Amino acid sequence: MELAAWLIFLLPLISAVTIGIGAFRSKPISAGISIAAVVGSFILTFVMVANGSEFPDGQGPSPKVSWLRLDGLSVDIGLKIDGLSKLMLCVVTGVGSLIHIFSLGYMKEDRDFSRYFAFLSLFIFSMLGIVLADNFVMMFIFWELVGVSSYLLIGFWFDKPSAADAAKKAFMTNRVGDFGFLLGILMVWAAFGSVSFDVLEKEKATVLCGLAGFLIFCGAIGKSAQAPLHVWLPDAMEGPTPVSALIHAATMVAAGVYMLCRVFFLIEGTWAMEAIAWIGGITSLMAALMAVQQDDIKRILAYSTLSQLGYMVMVVGLGGETNSDYYKITNVAGTDAAMFHLTTHAFFKAMLFLGAGSVIYACHHEQDIWKMGGLRRRMPRTYWTFLIGTLALCGVPLFSGFFSKEAILTVAYKESMPLFLIAVAVAVLTTFYMTRLFLVAFCGEPRSKHAEHAKESPVVMTLPLLILAVPSVVAGYFNMHAPDPLILFASLIAVVFGALLANSIYRNATDDPLPVRLGFIARAMKARFWFDEIYQWFIDKVQERLAKLADIIDRWIIAGLLVRGAHGSTEFAGRVLRLAQTGNLQTYAFWFAAGLAAVLVFALS
Amino acid sequence: MDYLFFIVMLPLLAGLVVGVIPGDRIGAIRGVTLGASWLTALLSLIAFCSFDPNGGLQFVTEWTWVESLGLKFYLAADGINIGIIFMGAVVAFAAVCCAGDVTHRIKEFYFLLNLMICGILGAFASMDLFFFYFFHELALVPTFIMIGVWGRGQNRNYATYKITLYLSFGALLALIGLIGVYVQTGAESFSIPDLMKAVEEKPITESAQQWIFPLLMFGFGILVSLWPFHTWAPLGYGAAPTATAMLHAGVLKKFGLYGLIRVAIPMAPVGAQGWLEVMAWLALANLLFCGLVAVRQKDLNLLIGNSSVAHMGFIFLGIASLNVIGLTGAVLVMIAHGLLAALAFGLSGHLYQQHRSLDMTRMGGLLRKMPLAGTALLMAMMAGCGLPGFANFAGEITIFFAAWSAGFQTITVIAAWSALVIGGLYMLRAIRNILHGPQGDDWDNASDAKPLVATAFGLLLAMLLVFGFAPNLLTKRINGEVEKIVRLAKPEGAAPEKVEVVRR
Amino acid sequence: MMEPTLSHYLLVSGALFSIGLLGVIVRRNLLIIYMSLELMLNSANVALVAMSRFYGKLDGQVMVFFIITVAAAEVAVGLALIVALYRKRQTAEVEDLATMKL
Repeated sequence: MELAAWLIFLLPLISAVTIGIGAFRSKPISAGISIAAVVGSFILTFVMVANGSEFPDGQGPSPKVSWLRLDGLSVDIGLKIDGLSKLMLCVVTGVGSLIHIFSLGYMKEDRDFSRYFAFLSLFIFSMLGIVLADNFVMMFIFWELVGVSSYLLIGFWFDKPSAADAAKKAFMTNRVGDFGFLLGILMVWAAFGSVSFDVLEKEKATVLCGLAGFLIFCGAIGKSAQAPLHVWLPDAMEGPTPVSALIHAATMVAAGVYMLCRVFFLIEGTWAMEAIAWIGGITSLMAALMAVQQDDIKRILAYSTLSQLGYMVMVVGLGGETNSDYYKITNVAGTDAAMFHLTTHAFFKAMLFLGAGSVIYACHHEQDIWKMGGLRRRMPRTYWTFLIGTLALCGVPLFSGFFSKEAILTVAYKESMPLFLIAVAVAVLTTFYMTRLFLVAFCGEPRSKHAEHAKESPVVMTLPLLILAVPSVVAGYFNMHAPDPLILFASLIAVVFGALLANSIYRNATDDPLPVRLGFIARAMKARFWFDEIYQWFIDKVQERLAKLADIIDRWIIAGLLVRGAHGSTEFAGRVLRLAQTGNLQTYAFWFAAGLAAVLVFALS
Repeated sequence: MDYLFFIVMLPLLAGLVVGVIPGDRIGAIRGVTLGASWLTALLSLIAFCSFDPNGGLQFVTEWTWVESLGLKFYLAADGINIGIIFMGAVVAFAAVCCAGDVTHRIKEFYFLLNLMICGILGAFASMDLFFFYFFHELALVPTFIMIGVWGRGQNRNYATYKITLYLSFGALLALIGLIGVYVQTGAESFSIPDLMKAVEEKPITESAQQWIFPLLMFGFGILVSLWPFHTWAPLGYGAAPTATAMLHAGVLKKFGLYGLIRVAIPMAPVGAQGWLEVMAWLALANLLFCGLVAVRQKDLNLLIGNSSVAHMGFIFLGIASLNVIGLTGAVLVMIAHGLLAALAFGLSGHLYQQHRSLDMTRMGGLLRKMPLAGTALLMAMMAGCGLPGFANFAGEITIFFAAWSAGFQTITVIAAWSALVIGGLYMLRAIRNILHGPQGDDWDNASDAKPLVATAFGLLLAMLLVFGFAPNLLTKRINGEVEKIVRLAKPEGAAPEKVEVVRR
Repeated sequence: MMEPTLSHYLLVSGALFSIGLLGVIVRRNLLIIYMSLELMLNSANVALVAMSRFYGKLDGQVMVFFIITVAAAEVAVGLALIVALYRKRQTAEVEDLATMKL
């Protein structure tokens, strides 16, 4: 079992390295290695979960490898295997496996097919590192590695300037969050003298200051794309669609939520909790509003991901008491609900993205929903799976999303009324924009040539969709409990209201009527509340000017005034003194004699 | 006589052999140098592997030279310099691999190159203050000549003057400090272990320490481009031939830092007390200021030069923390940065050779054009912005921990911002401009790295990755030695102080 | 008849030296400068011999022998140089020999 745990972790690394050093130049072998690795990890995870094997308390599978050992700072590479990480392992390797298979079809014609699979394996490895990390530094290491593999995958088509820029933006934004995360880790270490989760949990008696908790949360703000660092996620859709599904919907962006659950014991009871809850709530509302006015199918899904992540973060921040109704992963209602929603969301959002990928593939890389339409008859498998995903995301009863969203609403209702209202509003908006997307893209008449000639995607692409449809429906049943009637009512009303509203506006519409009806508000939504513009302004006016100032000081004051000044004054002194050097020996002899005479006079008198 | 003796003397021998080969036998000249440096690297690998972390001084060669002055030819390795020597020998081999861009006066160039390698390795291997300094100068003089004669760009002459004056001045200040150490300890010996023993029994008087430490700090600091004495570095490296830049930026520059750790801190700990805070702030200036300057650069070499200056800030910060974690981290970054700087300058040299220009605004899409060199550059840039998996990260994060626990909280916060965000910014922009996007104008004729050069890049990257995945390989060797130094400098407690738990 | 004392000899020596120095400084012909230089050397000889005589020690006279030998060698080299220079440049005036000057 110990070997299995290590294998789960290391198989993708082996795959990435083997493909990376170009051991096999052939495309099918590269893909085969990569898929074998992730499926192998998945099977081992499944075996491990099925066996229910537990490692003695606090002890991960040995051997722990010491990464760095110094007086007062010791960092191990060890695996932490508990309910939380097992659940996440299932999600990552499960969804990962399907997306690897889907990629076989989607990326078939790409010239860098092998590189793509090497990067995917690298990503899975890094993600597993986060999931299995048993200390803060290890988590930070893989946190950064996930960031870079996401960078590499977003910028996979790096010849395209937009993709290269998006990759850069994603990495930089994440770096800002990581800055906070690192400081948080430093504060935790300074306070407890250790970075190991087990040790920290034992010393729980000392409560950390809120600032440290908030700084740690900064890491999650970056990685889980919470406001105000959410700007990178929509741009990240420049990457290949399977990547968007795997990294920017199901797994990597959920890492922030996972990390918060993992270190919840540190944050619990500080003011950081409230900050987390409100940032989550605001993000989810804002992103839902932005999603309403987007036209790119992947961007709509990206904003919806943001909004759902906001949900999860919010509910972590709300905390709540131990709730015995649930399948207990963490013993806290808030983190349980967050992990629950994370799981269901991973399945249906990955499916939605893969569905979108299938649509984009069929429409020859057309992503504007207003140029689609009528795909229902042409792509039935994609249509039905997309419908299931939409229903699950909206939280229609009996689909998985309903149960997890209901769990979140329950916690919110108990803990904070304003956030509960926000959550319900977000539920209405979610149904609204998903119905809009669905009606415009799949129903009605085709609005472009590509849409007219669209054909169903090959089996290798639709099969993962069909497989993902199963957990999208049933994942909620593992965690059923008696719903609170009021909350049931609220969520039902939200779904029905949102759906009816969207239906009345968008049924058979050929273009979006909202900009006319709402005017400025619609423009603000479309412009994503000008966040990008504000950041651009900040970068241009503040960061660039600061750099320019430093450059000027370096060039003109240090290298110019000081260094050239020293050089110039030396040279000037030289030029003056040179006047005494006539080059006439006799003059020198005269000065010599005069000097001697002067010395004699001085010495003898 | 032991490994170290051969490691230091092999390049000298190669230099002498090159001296007697007729100047038109270019193949033989290159072959001899390459073979010697390869052998040196191999020997240093063996030495590194067979080094016993708990064994104290090893591979000793000790010959008395001038008895009355206590001068000895004394080579030995301990935990601190074994890693640096290993790194230095590998970088030297890589530099020789990348030296193919020199086209005139080849014999003279290779002679000087061999001399420089001998000097570099000797400086780090010497346990005698005199030879420590002597070897450094032996490496420095060829550097100046190489930049002056084989350098590139219009600024070559100015750069040569500047680097010569700066480094000579720094070395002079350090020399005064070193003589001060010799005289004030009264140990009648130049050997560093003897001096350490002497100060342990009877420290140098406080008033003497007050002037010795700043002399050493600024003297060595100038050699390592401590802010604001840093402007020689980007300029000098921009003008230097590839191999020289690799060797100087990678290894020789670390001499100053090595001297700080090896001599300044243990000999003048009391003098250091007041100055460490100054050093920490100057280190921050290196990190933040030079990082910002790097953001504005359009020329790849200037960018690498400035970022290299910025990275020196980490090492100074680690030294200023003056605890086991910090000094270990400092040595770790020294080694990591040595490999990285050599890699980066090797790559920029390759690009320059292809196009005679390093203007980043006119590059683009080179990852497609030259997959090997492009990938190496991508990885080098990633290592440069402190990505885990590369050795730099291990050192940098260690230094953050050290600086935080040494009480430099504000500095750590700003330093982390500079490293993570500003460092990321200029590195990513460089990747975006050089490697990504559509292919730049007139790069059609560029070709990828030749096997020899690619070997050099691969070797350096492999070392970075190995030490990044297992920094323990280095730290377990460094740790014990550093502890001795910290105990000498701060007898009251070598372990980091546990910061008060901040309550809600 | 007054017995000459040490200071008389020294006065003569000083006078010779001053004349020599003046010659070196103001004359422009290499040969004359050279002769003046010899004059200065011999003034030292006079002083040394006088000292030796009055203090009854032989050190000074030994020194004089050294000076005479060195001066002879110097004259040989110096005159040879001047002759060579004259042959090349057809002049022995120092003003005309300024090619080394910046």
